[in-house]
Amino acid sequence: MKQFKCSRIPNKINMMSKKMKYFQVVLLTVFTIIIMSCNSLKTASYDQYSYQKTTEIKVDASNLIDKATTSYVDNIEAIESLNLEIQKIVAYEKNKPNNEITYAMWKILSDSERNLLVGFLKYWKENDTLSQLFVTEAKTQIMEAMDLLIKYEGKKDKVSKDKLMGIINGN
Amino acid sequence: MDFKEILKELKGELLTLFEEKWGDLKGESKKDVEQFLKDSKDKLERWTKLLISKDITLDDYKWLIKSQKDLLLMKALHKAGVSKISLGHFKNKVVNTILNVVTEFIL
Repeated sequence: MKQFKCSRIPNKINMMSKKMKYFQVVLLTVFTIIIMSCNSLKTASYDQYSYQKTTEIKVDASNLIDKATTSYVDNIEAIESLNLEIQKIVAYEKNKPNNEITYAMWKILSDSERNLLVGFLKYWKENDTLSQLFVTEAKTQIMEAMDLLIKYEGKKDKVSKDKLMGIINGN
Repeated sequence: MDFKEILKELKGELLTLFEEKWGDLKGESKKDVEQFLKDSKDKLERWTKLLISKDITLDDYKWLIKSQKDLLLMKALHKAGVSKISLGHFKNKVVNTILNVVTEFIL
């Protein structure tokens, strides 16, 4: 009888070990699902169109701001064209999923009540012409803001590249 | 012109304004005001000199000060976005590690 009991002990240990492993696997799976479903950590992937368009708008804005020492009325066509491009990119960024940060940055740049890109155009319109020194200082502010947007989109590049490499390498 | 004196005065005025409006956030507002002034010190100094020498108007000066506030907001958003990307990377690494461990257990 005693011998019989002893022979069952390794079996029991084996069963317990299997149960423990099973429990750990379930626990890790649940943890993985929780992490993967964490939406607040999701960021829109790098977007070539956004990067290119933002860079184009920056160059156009830079050239236009330089003309702010001349009459607003004389530049109305270029101003309207830039405004239209800004409206297009804002609408585009608004509808991209997990893109809250880029959209929030564009909202600031395109808000005429704030003092960056579109706010500058409004100030130009109110004054018709602006002084060279003011234009230089304002341009530095606007270009700095636009660089932040471009740099942020560029940062996303690494994420999508890593994802792509992961797929290629079968990870 | 003693710009340090102007900056000190400005800091005092801003803190009083914050305390009057948001008394409960006294500690936080002090930190915010100090950070704003620290980040903007060189620009504020340059713009104040331009205003005093009448190279820019008071409206230009106001516009630039407000643009600095909006720029700092953009910087805060950029910082938050970059942190989010880093956390996303970390999340991917955690998921990959878990998957490797689980695969080892099963196979």
